Amino acid sequence: MAMILLVEDEESIRLLYQQELEQQGHQVQCAADGKTAVEMAREHAPDLVIMDINLPERMDGIESMAKILSDNKDIPVIINTGYSEYQDNFMSWAADAYVLKSADLGPLKEAVQEALAKREAS
Amino acid sequence: MLLSDLLKKTLVMVLAGGQGERLYPLTKERAKPAVPFGGSYRIIDFTLSNCLNSGLRRVLVLTQYKSDSLNRHVKLGWDIFNPAIGEYIETRPPQQRLSSDWYLGTAHAIYQNIYTLEEVRPRHVLVLGGDHVYRMDYGKMLLAHERAGADATIACIERPAREAAGELGVVCADADMRAVSLVEKPSEPGCSSDRPDVCLCSMGIYVFRTETLVHRVIEDARKDSSHDFARDVLPDMIERGDRVFVHRHEGGYWRDIGTLDAYWDANMDLVSVQPEFNLYDTEWPVRSRAASRPPAKIVFAGGSGGIPKAEVFNSLVCDGAILSGAYVCDSIVGPDVRVEVGSRIEQSIILDETAVGRGAVIRKAIIDKRNVIPDDARIGVDRGWDSSHFAISAGGVVVVPKGMPFPRA
Repeated sequence: MAMILLVEDEESIRLLYQQELEQQGHQVQCAADGKTAVEMAREHAPDLVIMDINLPERMDGIESMAKILSDNKDIPVIINTGYSEYQDNFMSWAADAYVLKSADLGPLKEAVQEALAKREAS
Repeated sequence: MLLSDLLKKTLVMVLAGGQGERLYPLTKERAKPAVPFGGSYRIIDFTLSNCLNSGLRRVLVLTQYKSDSLNRHVKLGWDIFNPAIGEYIETRPPQQRLSSDWYLGTAHAIYQNIYTLEEVRPRHVLVLGGDHVYRMDYGKMLLAHERAGADATIACIERPAREAAGELGVVCADADMRAVSLVEKPSEPGCSSDRPDVCLCSMGIYVFRTETLVHRVIEDARKDSSHDFARDVLPDMIERGDRVFVHRHEGGYWRDIGTLDAYWDANMDLVSVQPEFNLYDTEWPVRSRAASRPPAKIVFAGGSGGIPKAEVFNSLVCDGAILSGAYVCDSIVGPDVRVEVGSRIEQSIILDETAVGRGAVIRKAIIDKRNVIPDDARIGVDRGWDSSHFAISAGGVVVVPKGMPFPRA
């Protein structure tokens, strides 16, 4: 079981992901904006971060991820967004995985398993 | 690809953030690239002149410690392009968007400027140090890099193995000049069994394909590493099979002005009759900030009233300097320096706005800016006295820091 920080501003999606991940046996902490995510990552040292990109409070998900990695470079981060265009953003390449949002949560769950396995191995 | 296209698609990033500890006290109040050199220049002028003469028009100077002097110099001396048409030489302080750290190493400096790379989106990035003196056409290196389809190209110069040992990064390459290893400051350098006495040494000049560079510096930022291109990123790239090539620089002269002795030696080369580095080469001019000063003036032919004859040999004397009945040999006299009657300066570098009093003797010394050397002072004469008041290099060069109240005898 891993502790996952889920960063997502849309409440319905946040609840859906939280339930799914908890059903898989993970403990899930949630943040609805980038700044809160940075603070929570500092406080809770999660095993994994799932990060949306379009976020309120003047800090997008890529900047939030950069700050989290600056504090702790070992935390795996999965970008989870509805837009493929952000892959052109150089800093998005720092993520361990880039998953497009979809009704099918399979790719996200797979990315979570892979990132956690990689972390475990290292 | 045509060279003209290649030059337009290249962004230069000059790493000018090092502390230059081994040049202390010349770096007490300024970054190493801003240290005066050759009388009229700052060390960074040689790199920026190479960019200008090579036809590169997008240059960012990444600054960090004690950057005031460097910022001022680049702003006043190198604001020569028009940013409105995408051409510029600008300083860039740490943005700290990705981290509140200062630059932890050369690769980390590029990592911290990823947003700039994203905005400019060059095809290639030319990474340069701001603290070397040399003449180089970067266009040749860019063409070789492009033709080889390289991810990275390292500029190298051939050096005797004994010079490289413990001092320089040594690159071994195959017959196609593809790098097979890069070792920083090896104790026993040498790659070729048929020429064990020479090796290819990295000049700290790299061209990267932008996308590979971004991937590698991001990966490096997430590792326990010294975040250095020569120690970490490039050896890792070679190891993992990235296309890393060597570009052999044929120019000959290249100096890392890393220590006070290297600084003194390189300056002394300039005053020799036939210097290795020719400042007067009109094909590849070295430019600097052009301040408006009167010409240098040397007075007193000697003989009358007991005033000694002015004698100036093998020396560079900058604008605004006045030498009155002084003996100056094998020395560099900086802008607006005053040297009074009967003083004797040998094998020394006197930087801007310093005044040397009557009858003073200065030997094998570096006198930094805005010093007042009193009448009859002795510097470089009595080792014991010098060492109790000033810094002295391993090679015996006495250094008087900027604006230092002169100690009483």
